[in-house]
Amino acid sequence: MVFQSPFRLDPQTETKCDWVGYSTVAINHVIDFKEKKQEIVKPISPSELFPSLPIVQGKSKPIKIVTRLTLVVSDPSHCNVLRSTSTNIRLYDIIAVFPKTEKLFHVACTNLDVDLICINVTEKLPFYFRRPPVNMAIDRGVYFELLYTPAIKDSTMRRYTISNALSLMQICKGKNIIISSAAERPLELRGPYDVANLGLLFGLSESDAKAAISTNCRAVLLHGETRKTAFGVVYTKKTPRASEEEGVLPVCKKAKTEV
Amino acid sequence: MSVPLRRLRETPRHLLVCEKSHVRHERSRHAAHVRSHAYNCRVSFLIPECGILPEALKSVITDIGEYYLVKNLSLHELVTHEFINTFVKKGSCYALTYNTKIDQDNSAALLPTGKLIISVDKDTYEELGLQGRPSQYSGKKVMRYIVTIDLTDSAFDPDSKKHKRVLWALKEKKPLEFDFLLSWYNTGAEGSTLMSYFSKNQIQAHQPKTTFSTLRNLQCPVFHSNELQGKLEESCSAQELFEWLGAVCNKVGLDNKSFSFLSTYCCPQPSTVVEQAYLCTITGFIVPEKIIQLLEQLCCYFDEPKLAQWVTLTVHGFADSPVSWRESEHGFQKGGENLYNFIVFRNLDYWLQMAVGANDDCPP
Repeated sequence: MVFQSPFRLDPQTETKCDWVGYSTVAINHVIDFKEKKQEIVKPISPSELFPSLPIVQGKSKPIKIVTRLTLVVSDPSHCNVLRSTSTNIRLYDIIAVFPKTEKLFHVACTNLDVDLICINVTEKLPFYFRRPPVNMAIDRGVYFELLYTPAIKDSTMRRYTISNALSLMQICKGKNIIISSAAERPLELRGPYDVANLGLLFGLSESDAKAAISTNCRAVLLHGETRKTAFGVVYTKKTPRASEEEGVLPVCKKAKTEV
Repeated sequence: MSVPLRRLRETPRHLLVCEKSHVRHERSRHAAHVRSHAYNCRVSFLIPECGILPEALKSVITDIGEYYLVKNLSLHELVTHEFINTFVKKGSCYALTYNTKIDQDNSAALLPTGKLIISVDKDTYEELGLQGRPSQYSGKKVMRYIVTIDLTDSAFDPDSKKHKRVLWALKEKKPLEFDFLLSWYNTGAEGSTLMSYFSKNQIQAHQPKTTFSTLRNLQCPVFHSNELQGKLEESCSAQELFEWLGAVCNKVGLDNKSFSFLSTYCCPQPSTVVEQAYLCTITGFIVPEKIIQLLEQLCCYFDEPKLAQWVTLTVHGFADSPVSWRESEHGFQKGGENLYNFIVFRNLDYWLQMAVGANDDCPP
């Protein structure tokens, strides 16, 4: 399955995704804690976007739409929201974190319960990648995400994208990478095999580049699903409550009489 | 830092096998090669110095035969003994799933030898319960498995354990449904046809699409039948010819005009200019037996004296088929090409070029 994640909800972008050949699309909501009063809203269900999902070109199955939340963290207190029991966060299929400092990158790789760690591609990395946290993230099944749409928009960002990607490759050796778009408009989308070719520029081998848009994305989705289960084995589902029986008197409290 | 840059200079893996022989030679394997490439989606031939198609070739083209598209056919219907006895054991039955991508979805193919090849992804394989082997092109984490069932095997009787297991897996455990392209070649045997057998499903008959065009003032490379590698200043090699033929079939400009952004391809030298050439393309689900007939007719083209020194026949396989030649697994990395090309010379010598892309075995 081939995977994309546009930023904004744009039905036009979704229709272009299936025309271009993607079989799964993740719609992203970005929460930036630097701005005030950011609340995590419920994700929009795909049925609100499309009454019937369009069929992927060249296949006979409709496109699959999943939801994703990206948290831009620049302070350790921002990570608390992941530990909170807010129900809205659990409604998202994939949770990604965008660490802005080296300490937060380390925390994200080793402790945080996320599926993806976004790598900054629009500016020079403020920190170097080190092997221990990256290896820990790979062992935990956390994937690193590279974006390609900034590289399409601007040539300076193209340089930063490639240099940041190459420095990540030196440490992680091409494992656990996914490449996604941050497309807000249909024109910023590229075909899956073109994106796999772009992976070659990032230093991935041919098979790693193809995995970055197919099998690794499937692994991220499965990792997200295991968050809703116990150790990936047991999963619970709320059954609708049966209606109250008539004739059962509600329990009433007797007033306490003063002694 | 040098490793990624070195990778950029390498082209993706591809193979081109060139063979040379004579059509009437007793050990010539041209028919065997055509027969072992089961699924063909496009056949095109190019005849230089020809303006009108000969009648014999025209009749072979119109007689290519129709193929059928069945929607939502359950895979277990191809494993029932009724189907096996009616179609698989009598004549050659070809079936291939339609609108499935080999690197993403499940896919199935029925070879004329009676082997059913099912290519499934990891989740489906774990749910299906049939024994298969991991795909050759999956790397360390196996994501694709190939299940091969021999339908004509003597151990596959109606009451045998094997048959019961396969039927249970495909009917109850994990029912798989696909759109199939079907074709059946039999030498005049009586009996039901595919159309009547699958009349309960939505079966539609299709005729292959044929297009004809005459190319004017075509630059053709010069090559000789006994010089496969080409000789400097005298003839072109088989590889150069293969690229030139691809350019002609795709209507790419051959003169390297400075304002063209699309292509800087030049016709390989030495070359001549041919006044007119006849290009015919047939697209559909074409069986190898018909391709052999077409090849025979192209050889008979030289029975009468003609200006042309050679004719070519190019056959493309499906990019998403699970097998290429015989039972070699076919994969799609970034391109799923598996094609072969005959060049028949006036003296009935021929060159056969077989080409495959990245995730493919070497052609036989």
